[in-house]
Amino acid sequence: MVSKDEIKHLGWLSRLELTNAELDRYVSQIDEIIRYFDKLDTIPLSESEWSYSTKEVSELRDDTNRVFKWGKLQSLKNRKDGFIKGPKMS
Amino acid sequence: MPNHLYHLTANQVTCGIRNGEFSAQEYIFQILERIEKVDNKINAFILVDKQGAIEKARSIDKRLRDGGAVGELAGIAVGIKDNICIKDLKTTCASNILESYIPPYDADVIRRLKENDAIVVGKLNLDEFAMGSTTEFSRYGPTRNPWNLDYVAGGSSGGSAASVAASECAVSLGSDTGGSIRCPSSFCSVVGLKPTYGCVSRSGLISYSNSLEQIGPLGKTVLDVVMVMNAIAGIDENDQTTKPIRPIATRTSEDISTSNISSKYTAGQNKRNITIGLVKELIQGADPAVSKCIYTAVDLFEGLDCKCEETSMKSIQYALASYYTIATAEASSNLARYDNIRYGFDYDPEGYEWNTYFSNVRNNFGDEAKRRIIIGSYVLSAGYYGKYYLKAQKARERIRQEIKSLFERFDVLIGPTMPILPFKIGEKIDDPLKMYQIDIDTVIANLAGIPAISIPIGFSNSFPVGLQIMADYMGEQTLFDVASFFEKIVDVRRSPEI
Amino acid sequence: MVEVKIGLEIHCQLTGLSSKLFCPCQCDYRGEVPNTTICPICLGLPGTLPLLNKRAVAFASMISMALGCKVQERITFYRKNYFYPDLPKNFQITQYNAFGITSIGADGKVDLGAKSIGIRRVQLEEDPGRLIYENADVNANFYTLIDYNRAGVALVEIVTEPDFDNPKDVRLFLDKVTSTIEHLGVCDIKLDGSLRCDVNVSLKGGKKVEIKNINSFGDVEKALRYEITRQKTMLIREIEIKSETRHWDDARKVTMQSRTKEEEQDYKYFPEPDIPTIILGDQFISTIKAKMPELPDERKIRFLKDYALSDHVAKVLIDNKELADFFESTVKLYPSSPNEIAHWIISDLLGLVDDSKKEERSLLSGLRIEPKHIAELVKMIDQNKVNRNIAKSVLSQIARTGEMPSCVLDKMNASLIDSESKIAEAIDSIFELEISAVRDAKHNPNAMNFLLGKVMQMTRGRADPKITLNLIKARLARME
Ligand SMILES: [Mg+2]
Ligand SMILES: [Zn+2]
Repeated sequence: MVSKDEIKHLGWLSRLELTNAELDRYVSQIDEIIRYFDKLDTIPLSESEWSYSTKEVSELRDDTNRVFKWGKLQSLKNRKDGFIKGPKMS
Repeated sequence: MPNHLYHLTANQVTCGIRNGEFSAQEYIFQILERIEKVDNKINAFILVDKQGAIEKARSIDKRLRDGGAVGELAGIAVGIKDNICIKDLKTTCASNILESYIPPYDADVIRRLKENDAIVVGKLNLDEFAMGSTTEFSRYGPTRNPWNLDYVAGGSSGGSAASVAASECAVSLGSDTGGSIRCPSSFCSVVGLKPTYGCVSRSGLISYSNSLEQIGPLGKTVLDVVMVMNAIAGIDENDQTTKPIRPIATRTSEDISTSNISSKYTAGQNKRNITIGLVKELIQGADPAVSKCIYTAVDLFEGLDCKCEETSMKSIQYALASYYTIATAEASSNLARYDNIRYGFDYDPEGYEWNTYFSNVRNNFGDEAKRRIIIGSYVLSAGYYGKYYLKAQKARERIRQEIKSLFERFDVLIGPTMPILPFKIGEKIDDPLKMYQIDIDTVIANLAGIPAISIPIGFSNSFPVGLQIMADYMGEQTLFDVASFFEKIVDVRRSPEI
Repeated sequence: MVEVKIGLEIHCQLTGLSSKLFCPCQCDYRGEVPNTTICPICLGLPGTLPLLNKRAVAFASMISMALGCKVQERITFYRKNYFYPDLPKNFQITQYNAFGITSIGADGKVDLGAKSIGIRRVQLEEDPGRLIYENADVNANFYTLIDYNRAGVALVEIVTEPDFDNPKDVRLFLDKVTSTIEHLGVCDIKLDGSLRCDVNVSLKGGKKVEIKNINSFGDVEKALRYEITRQKTMLIREIEIKSETRHWDDARKVTMQSRTKEEEQDYKYFPEPDIPTIILGDQFISTIKAKMPELPDERKIRFLKDYALSDHVAKVLIDNKELADFFESTVKLYPSSPNEIAHWIISDLLGLVDDSKKEERSLLSGLRIEPKHIAELVKMIDQNKVNRNIAKSVLSQIARTGEMPSCVLDKMNASLIDSESKIAEAIDSIFELEISAVRDAKHNPNAMNFLLGKVMQMTRGRADPKITLNLIKARLARME
């Protein structure tokens, strides 16, 4: 059973500030969804490894540097003296 | 010059322009006029780049006048799902979070389209960050189904399918993570392809679920989709998960027959040239209004040198849970970067403690995005990783293995694209699990990384029905051959009245 | 004795690369205008994908091998998910050992002579950006300035087993690892922040305390001593030691509880889907092996054998590649006296280096002394052209001016008086002045030394003491 506290904590871990109404809604919806996921648990862990897509090391990017040319339109914001301004840390 | 140039297929458009039947400008003005006229009803476009489209058309016309060369897709109006980056053009993902974001680079597919002289006309509507199956989760409101404006267009590439169906562009690009191209293609009666994983670069596609999604083309005909696919596919140094792919032979439905379909298993035989596996679980799980339509089509193929055989795919029972576990896990991580510091909307961080600032700005995600972030967070958290994420990967491997063994017997697997007909806007929006469950037929191809296409196969209660065809890994040629053949047999192409 | 367990996490920037770990931006961010060595990839702009740097994989393999790790045949990356304003994607692409996947290096061992230290893993990961505060007191700022130039620079993280039981061994280990990394040529350790170390300390099998923010390797030992004492005191007073993260306060030289209490972190690790599993394969590994430069252990054995140095002298030289290289260049110029050269380097030359430079491991940067200087100086000593006392002052002059020793000597007019007649003249005059001492000297060695001193004084130390003493003895003998 998914609890309200659990959803609240997951919200914090994801930096989502959920309202009480949202919390109530999500608890029941997510509980239903997670219980649907429970059928995965019938698969034994010993089941063979999963396969990954692979690449040879020779196909990787060569170590040469290149300057990126930024477009004429501003993609980055919150700039101050060349820095990007962020919130306070403490 | 034919009337209503906007109704033409992409192939007809580029041939007409090259042959001097009409100019790229004449065509693009008709397209822009058409968008102006119908899009207030459809809501397929988030942004129309009139100026860019006209400039491109001019340059194509000029080159043709001067006897210069033009690209394979010269003059074709293409719409782009708004989760694909175009340099210096707003890219929103239909999210408040990115409402004023301007990418400084072109997605690889955009670079290729531009090089091939396609005309990008604008950005198309979608569910926020491509999370949804109806295009209802868009900050710009739902895209409406051109066949009935009260009904959903499907999603998440709803704008991509509806714009083509409503002749607002000839072809479009969508992205398909669990059916996001095929679902709206089926609902809107267009052709839509989810390519083999790795065939099309994801560079510039704003990630929802990296290990599942692919960009793919939508069009009015299989040929149009092949033409676009040939332009956008191929290895890209900006996406290390891309693989080399051979160009696909383009065959019009006139010159395709069962004898020239590339089949692995029955080559050389004169009769029963293609073997088709009809996936039992998919048919059985479908609404009778859908399955009836599929069976009618199957009967047609049966009489035409095709061997149709019912087959079972047991691992389907895990598909949806596996899909949503992996997709939400990856999504929760992908969407973490939207903290509004480097780009995003106007909201000065000065004075805010950073955790507060992050939580405040991230509150601008829509309902479905938040829900998936939390589910993804849940299945990845330390206590549950082994129970959900790891098991989901193992289920995925089972599905992959079973698919592999099925393609030892069949050239293609078929079934309905969607288990149900389009439904009313707002009907399922409050029941996420029900909404997820309509993806059951499409997620298999994403989990297995194989190509799949949806083609219009008929109408049921005056709503379109799509047939899904899946081929083996890298089996695009077979997929297109079979699709072209079916398209020829069950030609249902017509335009909705708007 | 309270049982102490210490483990280390060392971050080493691969400054020997041209580009960052996952994008083609220039790797060297030092001294650049803020936010200029950046691109959509290292800023994590929407739609960008990581493009793994081939040479970074090679460098990490070299480090793994040098630390006795087995290099894995296939490597996978992980996402470590946590929010922080210096992280452009709010996750870090790194490696991790779990679920059948391992980092590039695992299960290594570093020999410290008396004991060996286990290496849990060696992994590749990306550096975050830098946060800058206009007001030194973090709390007094209303905003933070962020420079993303460093974001995406390749790091190799070395994680040891908690095999240390005292700070001194930690120091020995860090010296050895530093020298190894220098010898591999993958990282310029002199650059500020190119090598960083976090430590974990636990006492009596208790809770683990992590100390971060130790800016120099020299402070690692200090931080450990402080922390061990702190925890011991707590044990004596029966105060419970909690698992926590502390920061090293560089100014006050104490460890401090971190400002914001980091709650139970859940990094939600999962394999990075945008980077395929990379197959290194036998050929890659054997190519790297073949290209591996000489490592400190091998070099030390060679020094012992080829130059007949003592174990101690060889170790001091090799713990610092700069010294070892200086030594070898000098020997090449003057191969006759490697031992003499070694001693000049580790005692006299190092004596001229101030402690702050030693901490930076940039020993010789402020001095103008080159191998040719030491070579000539030692040669002159061997040829009795200068005695050691004078050679020392010559050396400190060279350190300032960079002149050749012979030149300095000429200027000082300090060529050793080796002509016996000149010394004899000096002895003659001293014997005339110091009559009573001359009388005593026949029986009293102190008086003999007094006379020697006087002659040295008169010649301003330029007379060879041995020759002078012999001449004094002969003169006394003649007087009998
Ligand atoms: Mg690390
Ligand atoms: Zn970069």
